[in-house]
Amino acid sequence: MIDNLLLGFSALMTPMALLAVFAGVTGGVIIGSLPGLTSTMGVALLIPLTFSMPPEAGLAMLGGIYLASTYSGSISAILLNIPGTPAAVATLLDGHPMSQKGQSMRALALATFGSSIGGILSVIALFLIAPPLADFSLKFGSPEYFLLAIFGITVIASLSAGAMIKGLIAGLFGLLLSTIGAHPVTGDVRFSFGSPILYDGIPMVVSLIGLYSIPEVIAMISRKQVKIEESSKTPPRSALSFLPEALAQRVNILRSSLIGIIVGIIPGVGCSVGGFLSYDAAKRASREPQAFGKGSPEGIIASETANNAVTGGTLIPLLTLGIPGNPVTAVLLGGLMIHGLRPGADLFTLNAEITYGFILSLLVANLLFVPIGLFFARYCAKVIQIPTAILAPCILALAVIGSYSIRSSLEDSLIMLFMGVVGFIMTFFAVPRAPLVLGLVLGTLAESELARSLALVQGDVLAFATQLVTRPICIVLLILCAYALYQGIVQHRRNSNLLDT
Amino acid sequence: MLNSVKTTLTALSLTLGLGFGAAAQAADFPQKPVAMIVAYSPGGGTDTAARVLAKYIQHHLGQRLIIQNKPGAGGQIGFTALSKSKTDGYKIGFINIPSIFLVKMLRDDVPFEMSDFEMVGNIQLDPVVLTVPADSPYKNFADFAKAAKANPGGLSVGGDGPQSNNQLQLVVAEDVLGMDVNFVPFNGSGPAITATLGNQIAASVPSASSATNHVKSGKLRALAVFADKRYPYMPDVPTIREASGMDVPGIGASMRGVAVPKGVDEEKRRKLEAAFKAVVEDEKFQAHIQRMGLPLAYMSADDFAAYLKEAEAGIAKYSDLLK
Repeated sequence: MIDNLLLGFSALMTPMALLAVFAGVTGGVIIGSLPGLTSTMGVALLIPLTFSMPPEAGLAMLGGIYLASTYSGSISAILLNIPGTPAAVATLLDGHPMSQKGQSMRALALATFGSSIGGILSVIALFLIAPPLADFSLKFGSPEYFLLAIFGITVIASLSAGAMIKGLIAGLFGLLLSTIGAHPVTGDVRFSFGSPILYDGIPMVVSLIGLYSIPEVIAMISRKQVKIEESSKTPPRSALSFLPEALAQRVNILRSSLIGIIVGIIPGVGCSVGGFLSYDAAKRASREPQAFGKGSPEGIIASETANNAVTGGTLIPLLTLGIPGNPVTAVLLGGLMIHGLRPGADLFTLNAEITYGFILSLLVANLLFVPIGLFFARYCAKVIQIPTAILAPCILALAVIGSYSIRSSLEDSLIMLFMGVVGFIMTFFAVPRAPLVLGLVLGTLAESELARSLALVQGDVLAFATQLVTRPICIVLLILCAYALYQGIVQHRRNSNLLDT
Repeated sequence: MLNSVKTTLTALSLTLGLGFGAAAQAADFPQKPVAMIVAYSPGGGTDTAARVLAKYIQHHLGQRLIIQNKPGAGGQIGFTALSKSKTDGYKIGFINIPSIFLVKMLRDDVPFEMSDFEMVGNIQLDPVVLTVPADSPYKNFADFAKAAKANPGGLSVGGDGPQSNNQLQLVVAEDVLGMDVNFVPFNGSGPAITATLGNQIAASVPSASSATNHVKSGKLRALAVFADKRYPYMPDVPTIREASGMDVPGIGASMRGVAVPKGVDEEKRRKLEAAFKAVVEDEKFQAHIQRMGLPLAYMSADDFAAYLKEAEAGIAKYSDLLK
């Protein structure tokens, strides 16, 4: 173990490799904070650049982009109420309210420290216990995925912030939207209005941009400039002074990291689900659940710690089995292959120098995005002081360009505007938007895995039902679902009783 | 009389001039970077292959090759964009066979025809392989075929899908070999392989390039490759002919070639053809492609066009079975 560390250390400690991590992290912070630029795109576009680099430098750069952009989606979520990446949606729920109270620096600092710690813990898991954990990722068949999606959907209760019915409406609408496009198993195209751009469904990032940025722009234009002063009464605090506050939430951090790592190991689930699940768990465990959605530091830390813990988790099946769990790791796999590295046992023995160098570079990246991110965020924080007459059109322009750039398609900008109108109507009636995002993310997963589960048993519903109650992971997930629903109902009753009396 | 001579002369000189102009244009083609449409997302297999090509072709083309991703609807959006592109030779496209045929045959209102394209050359051929988990009771293809025939529709075989080249290959194999299995579509060859590794399905039909790593590490066993020749990165795996004694057309193999919209000046198209031929023969390019485990299979413009004619008829025969 120590030899491997030293080996990796020697591979990483070249000026080239360190410069590559630095460049990757800086690029990642910028990519992640701009809505519409995703980590997948960042990694994919920079792969050709790594062709001519030595493998340890090239991989270090790609890793840096991946980790930093997963984190920096929170910057725009906190400051502008627009999530830079799908993973930042849960962060937004508390980050933006905190920022509106004039504590943007506190929110940014908590998000940064949470992300960094979650990321580091997940890299440690990758370093120490990757092989036994990897087998876990193979235990997930279609019935397990289906139940996991259903469990994820129960999180709607936590995301609704008191307005349960409205949350359910939003969640159902999200599920409905997720049925647009080709059926995952039969290929039948639904609700496409004859436009091929809708064959793949409503693209996640495009709808996020519309859902959050358009209502924000409308709100900016319609209200007089509200100056959000960085708590002018108390002297401004440096970001570092919030570190003890973040570290004090030991249980929250550990729980969120664990959830993130587990979600990461399961191929195909992703950072946003990790963030949502751990936000939900933190709210359920919290002594002050009513503070969630109103600027709770616990919420920010839970969501950010978990979504960065996912990153290390996703690398476990990637490096040990060659299984990419999300689009970014699929691109990273390509990056490994280009350098002739084949995932599996060889990677940890024959190519130990490069592999452990890569793992170490991830640790460095997780530490490095703290100063770079906070430096960047300090200037970003000034963005909210720009007069709305300038800021609003800029955001609108970025939204149109961002949605266009994903597939270079103008139709995507139209979808973005449509989702913008949806988002505006929702904010107007105070319907929470996070459940819609959740529905959109999990609807496709639930539908395709249900259809696939049934295809696997030749459509025999009874056989499928038997699987749900006999497969061990299925039983655990069923119990979790039942518990979540039970607790949700009890809490809802308690809240409505409070209102009645 | 004089007038008509004058007119003729003017017309002649104009024609000559124009002809001359075009020739001159083609002679220094390309004068600016050439854009290549890739009908899939950045970071995918097709995109990565295109970007490697772009890196090495600059030297042979004399200009940069710029990748433009137009993903969506299983390639339909990118292929349509290519068919409607300018014919000045600066817009070319990476096309995937048989995906482009399947898109055209299985969907209504697809706004391009195969005759809207002219070929520049084929670069790659990635056949479909039949794989089982390492601890599977099926030691070879005969075991698998026996089990499939004993239990019609009972063996679950996963693969990219629905309506993919992998499913097409399986359907062709089922038809020729007289078997019936239960095809279960996954969101790509990768997830199908993951399900195979986890023993969630009896077998899978991934692309050979995505299965190579797992076969080499001994976690997957490849029973047969659906191609005329053995796959260069898995030389121990028998072809389907060697494994079953029957000729199963390998029309499900995924090919990646270069095409231009119809109407590009012949000379320009030949220049492009020469550049792509030169890059495929470039040793540095070959070394890079080999490290990535991608299978090269160069075909000239004319060979590629002839192959497509033949493949189209073969695919049309089976396309109804995919609906």
